[in-house]
Amino acid sequence: MALLDRAQWYDIARDTRWTPRYVTEAELFPPELSGGEGLPDEVWATYDEPYKVSYREYVDIQRQKDAGAYSVKAALERADLYNKADPGWISILKEHYAAVALVEYGASFQESRFVRWSKAPGMRNMATFGMLDEIRHGQIQLYFPHEYVNKDRQFEWSHAAMFTDNWVTLGARHFFDDVMMTRDAVSTSIFANFSFETGFTNLQFIGLSGDAAKAGDFTFSKLIQSIQSDEARHAQLGTPLLQMLIENGQKDVAQKKIDIAFWRSYRLFTILSGIPMDYYVPLDVREASFKEFMEEWIVTQFMRSLEDLGLSKPWYWDIFLRDISEHHHGQHLGTYSWRPTLWWDPAAGVSPEERDWLEEKYPGWNGTFGKVWDVLIDNFANDRPEKTVPGTLPIICNVSQLPIVGTPSQTLRDISLVHEGRRYHFASEVDKWIFEDDPERYRHHKNLVDRFLGGEIQPADLGGVLEYMGLGSVGPGGDDAHGFAWVDTYRKQLVKAG
Amino acid sequence: MATIPLAVHFDGDFVLKLLPADSEHTMDELAAAAAENSVGIHVPDQPGRTLRVRRQGDAQPFERASTVAAAGLGPTECVEVYFE
Repeated sequence: MALLDRAQWYDIARDTRWTPRYVTEAELFPPELSGGEGLPDEVWATYDEPYKVSYREYVDIQRQKDAGAYSVKAALERADLYNKADPGWISILKEHYAAVALVEYGASFQESRFVRWSKAPGMRNMATFGMLDEIRHGQIQLYFPHEYVNKDRQFEWSHAAMFTDNWVTLGARHFFDDVMMTRDAVSTSIFANFSFETGFTNLQFIGLSGDAAKAGDFTFSKLIQSIQSDEARHAQLGTPLLQMLIENGQKDVAQKKIDIAFWRSYRLFTILSGIPMDYYVPLDVREASFKEFMEEWIVTQFMRSLEDLGLSKPWYWDIFLRDISEHHHGQHLGTYSWRPTLWWDPAAGVSPEERDWLEEKYPGWNGTFGKVWDVLIDNFANDRPEKTVPGTLPIICNVSQLPIVGTPSQTLRDISLVHEGRRYHFASEVDKWIFEDDPERYRHHKNLVDRFLGGEIQPADLGGVLEYMGLGSVGPGGDDAHGFAWVDTYRKQLVKAG
Repeated sequence: MATIPLAVHFDGDFVLKLLPADSEHTMDELAAAAAENSVGIHVPDQPGRTLRVRRQGDAQPFERASTVAAAGLGPTECVEVYFE
């Protein structure tokens, strides 16, 4: 029997408009879960997804993607690329898998909430594929690192990280719960699918895919290409909703959702992408700086997608443009200094040659962040390792949940406010604005320092903090990825200087 | 005597650090305690120069002999510590 062309039946299969008889419309689609208040009922049927696919086509394509990724993995296992890879690259794998794999499972719940609660039939249909995408992403990103567990116990974090109270996990969970799990269907699709996935997963998956291929890790490169091809499709879920909001007089509502999600996504990616791209990727295969990736994927491409919709740059655009040259440098210094609190071994990335590269990409780096590294290097080179790990905790932002960092003697400062008797700290004016816009959403969360000061962490010292975060029990905490071999150059300089 | 946790911005450092301060400590003692977390760790020492403490944003430092309690600093309020 001849198959009908997809266009002849697609709308019938997709447009499952329900007419409730036993419950009210509000009971079927509770506003707090469905969202879109103020949009006329008739607009929901106009939702039209840009990527059309049938279930038959979807399954066939996904089977091919999985076959490709798994066959590359199987072929390259025999090549033993793991043991030949630069330790900095291995650290990227550890950081990535633990921060991402379980979150992908969370994203399948996000999409399944669209399937149930979205009032737009087209979105419910498209989100079904998105839900299946995310289950695949969770499974494949747990399966691939599993083979490494017998090589290095830190890979156990790939599965365990999101079940711990590690400070990076606290930050990631806070972000993903905010943008992905606790908002109505319309808001979530704009926060997570449009703002986060359209912009920032491109950065993580395409940017790192190129570096992976150059570093010889074709398994990882193929894996994240395979995932990105799904993201490119379901990231589009929010775009038709944005158009519906704008056409129905809610442009300001749409803009604010994007402004909040964009900044929150950016901050998290300074850790997930910024640090690896500028410090962990071996210098000889490094494709571009984090700032250059940001300029290509965010400043240019994401902004074009906003302008196409008739929206504007976020109000803090000037702050953002300055920030992409500095914030991740501070976070790198912080993660490296408190390396026992990480589940991966950070690469310092500050050999003389690497410092030259940093100075070229970020003029002035040597005179600011480089001066702090000078102190660290002096301690390493003169055998004072105990002075390279601070004995206290950093102050942590109550929105981003990341340490409050800045350019030394230039931009570092505390931005705080007292809300109902509690002082909250912020790493930027933007984080403060996000909090002030909806304090009820954020005020009850306790970051690591809040928990420490509240007596939840015992004993109240660095050892107690490490145990609280799961270090040692899940897998060992971090130390220098290269075993401090990079310090030798500086030791030789000391000897030479006499 | 009570512990008042403060946020410290040590000039030249890249990150704000938590310091459990003693309410009866003088500003010189507070500065010395803050220095233990930054000088020689992330900030180079400047021998012969005096450390001063001020509330973030203030032009003038606290008197060196005044106490944390007398300064009226609240929990996790930010102080700046710098070489004069």
